[in-house]
Amino acid sequence: MDLAIRDIRQHLGRFLATVVGIGLLFAIVLSMNGIYRGFVFEGLSLINITDPDLWVVERYRGGPINEQSILPEFFHYSVAAIPGVEKASPFILYPVERYVAGKSRRFTIIGYDVFTGLGGPKKLAAGRPITQAHYEAVAHENLSLRLGENFRLGLHTYTVVGLTKEGTSPDGEPLLYLSLPDAQEVIFLPDNEEVRNQRLRVYQSLVRPGFFSPQEAEKYLSRDAIDTHRINAVLVRLAPGAQAQEVARSIRDYLYLSVFTTPEQIDIMFKGRLNRPRMQLYLFRILLLIVCVVIIAMVVFTLTMEKIRSIAVMKLIGSPNRVIIRLIMEQSILLTACSYLIGWIIIHNTHQLWPRLVLLTPGDDLTTLGLALVGGIIASLLGIWKALKTPPALALGEQ
Amino acid sequence: MAAVLKVENLKKTYGSGRLAVEALKGIDLTVNAGDLVALLGPSGSGKTTLLLCVSLILEPTAGKISLDGETLFDHGWQNVDIRQVRLQKIGFIFQARNLIPFLTAMENVILPLDLMGVERAEAVRRARELLEYMEISERADYLPALMSGGEQQRVAIARALAGSPKLVLADEPTGALDSVRGMKVMELLKSIAREKQTAVICVTHDERMIEGFDSIFRLKDGQIMLDT
Ligand SMILES: Nc1ncnc2c1ncn2[C@@H]1O[C@H](COP(=O)(O)OP(=O)(O)OP(=O)(O)O)[C@@H](O)[C@H]1O
Ligand SMILES: [Mg+2]
Repeated sequence: MDLAIRDIRQHLGRFLATVVGIGLLFAIVLSMNGIYRGFVFEGLSLINITDPDLWVVERYRGGPINEQSILPEFFHYSVAAIPGVEKASPFILYPVERYVAGKSRRFTIIGYDVFTGLGGPKKLAAGRPITQAHYEAVAHENLSLRLGENFRLGLHTYTVVGLTKEGTSPDGEPLLYLSLPDAQEVIFLPDNEEVRNQRLRVYQSLVRPGFFSPQEAEKYLSRDAIDTHRINAVLVRLAPGAQAQEVARSIRDYLYLSVFTTPEQIDIMFKGRLNRPRMQLYLFRILLLIVCVVIIAMVVFTLTMEKIRSIAVMKLIGSPNRVIIRLIMEQSILLTACSYLIGWIIIHNTHQLWPRLVLLTPGDDLTTLGLALVGGIIASLLGIWKALKTPPALALGEQ
Repeated sequence: MAAVLKVENLKKTYGSGRLAVEALKGIDLTVNAGDLVALLGPSGSGKTTLLLCVSLILEPTAGKISLDGETLFDHGWQNVDIRQVRLQKIGFIFQARNLIPFLTAMENVILPLDLMGVERAEAVRRARELLEYMEISERADYLPALMSGGEQQRVAIARALAGSPKLVLADEPTGALDSVRGMKVMELLKSIAREKQTAVICVTHDERMIEGFDSIFRLKDGQIMLDT
């Protein structure tokens, strides 16, 4: 005869209400798992998608994603000359907020060498990769651009030739791929008004008694074009058989640059930019789980106290302790399992509505269930202790 | 006739030092199979204490208790499984709220059988039989909250009898009932002593209830005054 179920059956409504309440809490615990995983996934997404053998960046910098790094564009020729390097390709990225597809949007512009393809989109959901040196773009779906659509960005109009689904900036913003020179222009070139103002300022500082004549200043200004030939990193594809660490050492020693493999780059991000928010989320996850267990403990304790007289009667009749322990523990586990199930159903049906990626994994789900069940058992201990301490003589009391 | 219960020079002192209460001061008592015994006495005389000692819930301070030929206590617990003895040899009925509120009448009677490891079908059969015997079988599937006090007490008696105990202990079983229902419960207790040869010790305040009992013990200040 299952006593736990029979007791619950008598207060079914209240039990269900409790299960739904704790279930909502479990939904938050599970969403927290997903938020944590999503945060790490998005944080590393750009590195994982770009995935070169080596990242070459400004010396002493942990760039280009964890930290800013600026190199002259021509450095990729020097890197290409190092033995063991098959391809060396310039790479630039820059988060912007621009007016695109009828709305001001945050996104990250990626500029890459469209002919080597290194640093470009990995998998396209639709269309084709960029094949021309100018005015073509591959956009993330979330930018709401359609295939073949023309859109204005900076000084020019671009055509969407491909769409991606995967890959975001570390902040979870969509990516927009352009050819390197296009990207450099969008990122570095000020608008025409700003160029004119800049020239006027320089002109006025040059044309002074004893300095330059207006004619000389004009000549000088015409040479003072704005330099857009800057990049953030050089991406390297190694020749077959080349040792990553050896090539990296050569680049460091000969070119005075910093070099990282992709796993090192991931490590830098993980321990750098992602570290503190990640820890914060992790801590929150643990706290929520503890809160769940404490609430379950309180509910189980209340359930036990409500039937303390019945427990005394059972003891008086001669029930062994294990029957009483089982009654309480079973209710605790039932409460935990049902609440978890409700939470699981809620979050698995709503996670796609969250503003940022909520990445639910079976591993996290199972670990949480395991911890919750262990917590449920621990939660029942207080009730069990109280029940075992109850004297059977309590049953004879008149109240 | 074989003695079901034998109590010799039983003493129980609650607490110690200046706060010590001598609730039982040397009780001698023998109850045979089929005996119907009434235990009378004013409040505080030690009736409940005696029942609790006999049912092995309270540890006596001194003395000897034997049940069904087995010595359970002799200046200390003997090497027996007290819970098993209680489960198999003793049935309990107390004043009120005997029943487990989340179990139906039937399930309440099945519970001790279940704990004894009696097979389900057999337990159901025996429980139904007992409920019929207690004339309460039409309430078999009711929860206690839906039954009257008298009906609850009859289910409680059925439960006390479920394991065919040697000894039934009843602590004021009619205390919460009006006299008509109280009489009915007493009649049932009498009939189980007669028909099932179960020894019954029944604590009561009410002199009118003890008509037809085999022996009557009057307790006062922890001592038996007089037995008839
Ligand atoms: N747990 C306890 N601790 C200390 N003293 C107790 C305890 N239980 C009972 N007593 C005392 O022991 C004495 C006998 O109590 P007991 O409950 O056996 O009386 P009773 O005859 O059953 O009374 P009533 O008719 O009121 O139920 C009383 O003086 C009581 O105060
Ligand atoms: Mg009493």
